Amino acid sequence: MKYHLPLTHPLLQTVDISVSFGGLQILDDVSIGIPEGSVTGLIGPNGAGKTTVFNVMTGFVKPDSGKVKYEGNRLRHVKTHHLTKMGISRTLQGVGLFPSLTARENVMLGASGHVRSGIVADALAMPWTDAEQRHVREKAEAAMAELGVLSEADRLPGEMPYPVQKRVALARALVSDPKVLLLDEPAGGIGAADMQELGRLIRSWVPERTVLLVEHHMELVMEVCDLIWVLDAGKVIAAGSPEEVRNDPAVLAAYLGEDDHEDDHEAVI
Amino acid sequence: MIDFIDYLLGGISSGAIIALMALALVLVWRSTRVVNFAQLGQAMFTTYIALTVRELTGSWFLGLIIAMAAGLIVGVIVHFLVIRPVKRLDTSGAIIATFGVLIALEALAAMVWGGDPEAFPPPINNSGYEAFGRIWPFSPYDLLVLASVVVLVLALSVVFTRTNVGLAMRASAFNPEVARLSGVRVNRMLVLGWAIAGLVGAVAGVLVAPLSTLSPTSFDIFLVFAFTAAVIGGLDSLVGAVAFGIGTGLVIALVSGYSDSSNAPLVALVLLVLNLLFKPEGVFSHHKARAV
Repeated sequence: MKYHLPLTHPLLQTVDISVSFGGLQILDDVSIGIPEGSVTGLIGPNGAGKTTVFNVMTGFVKPDSGKVKYEGNRLRHVKTHHLTKMGISRTLQGVGLFPSLTARENVMLGASGHVRSGIVADALAMPWTDAEQRHVREKAEAAMAELGVLSEADRLPGEMPYPVQKRVALARALVSDPKVLLLDEPAGGIGAADMQELGRLIRSWVPERTVLLVEHHMELVMEVCDLIWVLDAGKVIAAGSPEEVRNDPAVLAAYLGEDDHEDDHEAVI
Repeated sequence: MIDFIDYLLGGISSGAIIALMALALVLVWRSTRVVNFAQLGQAMFTTYIALTVRELTGSWFLGLIIAMAAGLIVGVIVHFLVIRPVKRLDTSGAIIATFGVLIALEALAAMVWGGDPEAFPPPINNSGYEAFGRIWPFSPYDLLVLASVVVLVLALSVVFTRTNVGLAMRASAFNPEVARLSGVRVNRMLVLGWAIAGLVGAVAGVLVAPLSTLSPTSFDIFLVFAFTAAVIGGLDSLVGAVAFGIGTGLVIALVSGYSDSSNAPLVALVLLVLNLLFKPEGVFSHHKARAV
């Protein structure tokens, strides 16, 4: 069963994507679209293939068949390091910060794709003449200020509470000024207050930016998403507004059928 | 006591050079997770180039500069020609392949310049300073070596901590996938790591040659010392490479002074074994432990 929503402007979409690893079908004809300027959710029980969808979109995994389209054009041979330049930014499950770099350095890295000077020129450039270096630094600090973590700039990730690390990771994703943000479980491991704040933050990015959210915390998903896609066992089983998805029998069955040990899913049921 | 001071003074410049060699090994390890056993073969080769340039032009300094450029180029060539293709198949295969590069370079040098040891005289006076009525085992040349190493290490630390490319190199070394997601062109950083390592090794070669002689295999022994220093320092720590490079130089000087210089490699290997037994991840490493 395939769902085709009236997507006026899918900024990023997968078309009939199938992926298998060693005979195991991970994704089966998955077509999902992310309308421009929306917060779109991608949910499903564990092992449904949500992260694989991200991996296909960012070129980590090559699908057996199907295609990814971005701004109406097919993406092929995408080099991962080109993504930020194309306006696609992704956060990873967990934190994904470099433990030996300060928060500021971590965020500055996010702007790497926008550094134009060649490696030799950059390597030879002395710090006091390096205007580009300063520019990157200012952008990083602006992003950190937006996320409220500028005061942590000189600390190492290991010295910060987990929710603060998550914010730094978000700042790194924002610093390249992306059109699309792919957020992989941004609320994982953070408390209720931080989650509310995160929800407000995500809403504040649209419609200037477009967000795809993979998240287990249903309260957050239901609160911030305009559109939700539901995956189960590699297939799209439902799509629609939070209200529609909440009441969809197929979704209820998928979550009820799971040997559930995570409280989060009860919100759906 | 005065012996002890003499030995230490005598070990400073060779320690500084070992620090450079260890630094080169660490730079390559950080970029491609390969121990480049050909590093000092590359340095030997570029030192021969320096010698040739020096004989043709009479300028030690020009020889050094050309050797540095050659070191950069040789590093890039080895990376593209040998490491990248082999590493695609197998990482440990790439490490073995560096031995092949070492042997090939030694054979090539013997073919081009002959296998006999050649003198590589120091550019300035290498006899010890006189003070307090005695001659100390520290010469103007030792001072030049020390100054060169300090300048190079400072320049590298500026590149690594104050420039975008240095930041990108550190990130690529730690987690290539996340670095790529952040827009870092990781493959370029790997090449750059090999290039800088080649340059650093070339400087080490030109500086160390006057302390003995130059032959296709005369740097081999330094591989033992540099490898020991790099591993004890943590193999991915630039600070560790410098600190333990100098430390290894001093230990070797003491061992050579109090016993015989032929015992130095043995002592280095003992240090290496002790390190692997008690602190296998190295002293300055970011990682918790390493499989050895």
